[in-house]
Amino acid sequence: MKIILPDQSIQTLDRGSTPVENVLSDLGINSLEVIVSRNGKLVSEDTVVGADDEIRIIRIAHGG
Amino acid sequence: MCVEPAVIYLRYAKRHLCRAHLIEDIEQRVLSTVENKKLISTGDRIAVALSGGKDSTALLILLCRLLPALKDVSLVAITIDEGITSYREDTVHSAEDLTRRLGIEHHCISFTEQFGDPLDDLLKGRESQACSICGILRKKALNIGAHRVGATKLATGHNLDDEAQSVLMNVLRGDLPRLVRNSGNDSQSAFIQRIKPLAYISEKEIATYLILNDAWKNLPECPYTRYALRREVRTMLTTLEYRYPGTMLRLMESKRKIEYYCAGSMVCEPIRGCRECGDPCSGDICQVCLLRRSLGL
Ligand SMILES: [Zn+2]
Ligand SMILES: [Zn+2]
Repeated sequence: MKIILPDQSIQTLDRGSTPVENVLSDLGINSLEVIVSRNGKLVSEDTVVGADDEIRIIRIAHGG
Repeated sequence: MCVEPAVIYLRYAKRHLCRAHLIEDIEQRVLSTVENKKLISTGDRIAVALSGGKDSTALLILLCRLLPALKDVSLVAITIDEGITSYREDTVHSAEDLTRRLGIEHHCISFTEQFGDPLDDLLKGRESQACSICGILRKKALNIGAHRVGATKLATGHNLDDEAQSVLMNVLRGDLPRLVRNSGNDSQSAFIQRIKPLAYISEKEIATYLILNDAWKNLPECPYTRYALRREVRTMLTTLEYRYPGTMLRLMESKRKIEYYCAGSMVCEPIRGCRECGDPCSGDICQVCLLRRSLGL
């Protein structure tokens, strides 16, 4: 699956179907600090995503 | 039972919510906070401290939506331009866009106008104290702004994460007076009463709410936060919240209990007038005047 990281860099993860939460923990990211979309739609952290999905991770900046 | 796809899983409540239900839930919880804590009364003119960042943006959108449920209440937005290069310009623009879009009266006050110099200049050589110096001056500027626009209350966008961090930071510093002074007790002072309608909404919920309302902007983070204890406390608390959902709410509950047991006791120094400017303060001289002296303003 294609992962777009908070800094806009792109990483391809060779993984079968798995919950978003596992993708994040593989990347060392706490799910409370980010928002995740799959193919342009927001998803909850326990949503199972698949190999063909495009996952975007948006970091929640502090302040404001 | 709702069949729409979930956009968020609220770990502390073990609930999945779809787009429509999350928006409804957040708006309802903010209204409950406002009503239960009697934050807003009939006839209030609420000045919203609008930095243009995510929390204050969400606050203004939420209060606008709740306006019909609040009797005879008006809103006005105040933005403080501290003068932080490559940070504040973007958020000030974002604040202007938002108030134009919502049709809300908007006023901007700069540190340069109030204190003679932008924050960047005031801080030269004192970067490690950035957040406390900026906080003291921003509070003063917001009070001036709120008086100027005839506001009866000042609403800030502090969220659950911010509030829980403050509780822990005050404990880590051994600052019991500040721990119990922060919330409702402010009303006893001559300063305009500050209210925090988002105090029970988490940072993640706020960010999701903004995205769902097409109001999300990728804004820079304040360059001075890297000096702050708050940053470390934030990381620690988010980790704890992830592993033990509900940690932040329980910290707020601890604060509430401490406030309850401290009520009536003399934890805080009595409020007097500052010897130099007359503003209410707990010592001889207020923090702003102390700062003016040490910065040579
Ligand atoms: Zn639903
Ligand atoms: Zn003073």
